[in-house]
Amino acid sequence: MLVLSRKLNQAIMIGDDVRIVVVAVDRDTVKLGIEAPRTIPVHRSEVYEEIQRTNRAAAGEPVEKAPEAPERVRVADLGRSRRTPPKP
Amino acid sequence: MIAVTETTVETADQQITIELPRFGTCTYAESEVLTFPWGLPGFASLRRFLALSLEGQERFVWLQSLDDVSVALPVADPWQIFPDYAPKLPGYATTSLEINAPEDFTTLCVIVVTSEAVEMTMNLLAPIIVNLRTRVARQVTLETGGYSVRTPIPRKATPAPAGA
Repeated sequence: MLVLSRKLNQAIMIGDDVRIVVVAVDRDTVKLGIEAPRTIPVHRSEVYEEIQRTNRAAAGEPVEKAPEAPERVRVADLGRSRRTPPKP
Repeated sequence: MIAVTETTVETADQQITIELPRFGTCTYAESEVLTFPWGLPGFASLRRFLALSLEGQERFVWLQSLDDVSVALPVADPWQIFPDYAPKLPGYATTSLEINAPEDFTTLCVIVVTSEAVEMTMNLLAPIIVNLRTRVARQVTLETGGYSVRTPIPRKATPAPAGA
């Protein structure tokens, strides 16, 4: 891992278009300002890790064995099942 | 003339039959495959999925991985359970998925069923957005709305999906 020291209001660049600035430092909390293109998602790591855990929990244990009672299964028609979200 | 044209189309998009550990035999066409170019959190290496419907359980959809057939996740249309759900898609979602209008996409939310099917939760914080035209999909994280990754589903709202 690359480790850089930065002072208040100093920044680092990641690539050509992501800029991270130290906005405030207070005891054990650092406030960062992030400038990134709209195409790049920016999230706290805990949120992403929680989504990873939830997806793994949803999938459950990997199913390796052939089912004893196969389901009748077909490709879902996503266009038909789609509901338009309520207007705000 | 019309019949000949239809035959040509079918040849170009042949039906493929696979054996799925969870569901058994399934037939699909390549044009029906959903692509997750950015992966799915927790399953970053899996890119190709089928959206499957089980007979008698049309309220649920199973996202079945084609890269690892042992992996399948139950999902559902969030509005059939939470009519007031109002996700505001972040800019990166609409840009990366080339979504311009509401009819371009559909929304699916991941369902977690606890081991004894006592409780079910839905991930309203990170809906899966599917571009219906390109069949490219991405699980996106909402930046507003205060939604939870494990929103309890009221018991009477819907029965648990079989196989979960």
